[in-house]
Amino acid sequence: MLKTQFLGMELPNPVMVAAGPWNRDGKGLKESLEAGAGAVVTESIVSDTVMDVRPRISCDTLGAENIRMYSDIQIEGWEREMSIAKSSGGVVIASISGHTPSELAYLASKMERFGADAIELSVSNPAAESLEVVASHADTLFDMTKEVVSAVKIPVMVKLSQNTTNISKVAKAVKAAGGSGVTAINSVRGILGVDLENAVPALSTYGGISGEYIRPLGLASVATIAQTVDIPICGVGGISCAENALEYIMLGASAVQVGTSVMLEGRDSIRKIVQELEIWAQNHNVENLSELRGKALENLKAFDEIKFEPAVSHANGVPCSENCNKCVNACMYQAISRRGNSIRIDRAKCTGCGLCTFICPAKKLKLSL
Amino acid sequence: MNIKQIAEAAGVSVATVSRVLNHPENVAPKTREKIQKIIDEEEYTPNWFAQGLNFKRTKTIGLVLPQNINSANMEVANGVEDVARQKGYITFMCNMEKDPRREKEYIDQLITRKVDGLILLYSTLNEEYASWIEEENVPIVLIGETKARDSWDSVFVDCRAGAAEMTAHLIECGHKRIAMLCGKDPEPEAKAMLQGYKNVLKASGIKVEEHLIYQVGNNIEGGYIGMKKMIGNLPRKPDAVFASSDEIAYGAIDALKEMKLRVPEDIAVTGFGNDRMSSLMEPKVTTVELPYRKMGIYGARMLFDQIEEKKVKGGHHRRPKKIQLQTKMRVRKSCGHRERIGEMF
Repeated sequence: MLKTQFLGMELPNPVMVAAGPWNRDGKGLKESLEAGAGAVVTESIVSDTVMDVRPRISCDTLGAENIRMYSDIQIEGWEREMSIAKSSGGVVIASISGHTPSELAYLASKMERFGADAIELSVSNPAAESLEVVASHADTLFDMTKEVVSAVKIPVMVKLSQNTTNISKVAKAVKAAGGSGVTAINSVRGILGVDLENAVPALSTYGGISGEYIRPLGLASVATIAQTVDIPICGVGGISCAENALEYIMLGASAVQVGTSVMLEGRDSIRKIVQELEIWAQNHNVENLSELRGKALENLKAFDEIKFEPAVSHANGVPCSENCNKCVNACMYQAISRRGNSIRIDRAKCTGCGLCTFICPAKKLKLSL
Repeated sequence: MNIKQIAEAAGVSVATVSRVLNHPENVAPKTREKIQKIIDEEEYTPNWFAQGLNFKRTKTIGLVLPQNINSANMEVANGVEDVARQKGYITFMCNMEKDPRREKEYIDQLITRKVDGLILLYSTLNEEYASWIEEENVPIVLIGETKARDSWDSVFVDCRAGAAEMTAHLIECGHKRIAMLCGKDPEPEAKAMLQGYKNVLKASGIKVEEHLIYQVGNNIEGGYIGMKKMIGNLPRKPDAVFASSDEIAYGAIDALKEMKLRVPEDIAVTGFGNDRMSSLMEPKVTTVELPYRKMGIYGARMLFDQIEEKKVKGGHHRRPKKIQLQTKMRVRKSCGHRERIGEMF
């Protein structure tokens, strides 16, 4: 039911574990696979390791900020780590990062020799690199992808970033260079917050924000790529349950990656998401998740294509016992009022903006003609 | 104990002990454990000379440097040694003191001593000499621009692009009369940098003035003397000085301080290389980062790739591989730039 074909690889399910410190070595990768991941991506491997700063990871209820971006194991050590990672089977994708095409091609061919099933180029690290990530320049990305593709026989995917003005353009460059797929999106440059008493930001430099914060950005990126470029997509960003994974799939992703939820909740979250996906598919009579790929794109239109319909909000006569008055307070057109348990909508004032239907905790309001 | 005695103690042949040491996977586990136990107890280590003769390898590599009091060169060496150690190799380091004759002597010596491979940093070798070494069939990797780059595997950075970026940055800072203190060595890189500097000036509509370009020794003294001469000779001082190495920049800043000129207020000075001292100088030196350690790491990686290929295929001719690494602007204080964007990101 969950079996997934991705870049010619057979995955038991579409839930991969993303590149990150949780996949920092062979043992971690193996554990992620044993927890049920469809595939695992190594932490990004670079030419030379960088010293870890302390602290380097912060979080709050909506996500995390991370300034550790690269593997602390040199390429020499990854021969050993890969044999551990692959010792009980499973698909291992090597994430590599660098600044020049020849450097990346070298790392890719080494990781191929060590048994990697695919390469993920990580050229969009939001921390410690520069204000403009490599993945925002289609030309540079094209050169890099091309050289890596010609250096290996395994599939090459490129991890893209929201820190660019036109993600479709860079995805096209990946395809033109012979890349097999794209991963979208990398964490987004940000600052999680400031400790006001000490005037200290969450971490001591700009970091990569991940988790729920970036899911809407990830969803939009995946949808944009799916609508403009014919290339397999792996969706990443704020996935912590099956529903999130399905959102990405319905917007065009063939597979997904989870990272932050593995970091914050442990590897059980992989097992949980896979199980939930199975149950969801069963309940919805879905034989294979690939049937759902891109299904929501049919309902994602260009602004100009949206039909004008004079819909207004309806309370459907149901008595409201929520007593929160959220709809009343949020109505910018003063169309909603309350009398006791009854919510009244002034049809003449309502402009059908729809906000009340989302803000109502009991979902009692609906837009209709 | 020697290998013969170990074999006697274990009741096996010398060949079996040798296999335990070199190809343990080919020995039955029980026998292997028994022999290994004796080896451990007796703290036996194989005779290094005998092993070298047997396997035709010495597990040593040679690294020839232009100069060993230069901290940038030592960063390269640090990268080489890091990889060599992981591979179980010892690195012989030779300082040629920027003397091509001495470089050749060292290469001869290292080959005579049967190193398994050679890494040459900023080599002065030409193609002719290169073909001689080729006959010796010793794996070689070059680091840095070299006349003989097309003959062997090499690691290099695009110094022309780095110099162009720095020159453009100085123009962006508002400087118009931009002088250059250009090191005499390593020659190919100095030439490339000079070219990068001239190209950007021309492209920006600034006339290249040859009297603003000084060839100096590539060290602190060279920068000091060059700066003094330049200020002494020119009727009007330049706005900025682009030094082709950090060491030249240090010398230049020292000379300017002595002449009671302020950096960057009176004259901006920038370097090239980003060696460790550049961010400790006062003012902190704006420079172009060269990935020295990474150059060493890749040099060694390519060398061991060759050594391993040679082991498998018995030495063959293939097209030389090249790895290009990136330079990066490091905007600090000495250029007179007021924003910190380059430093922060």
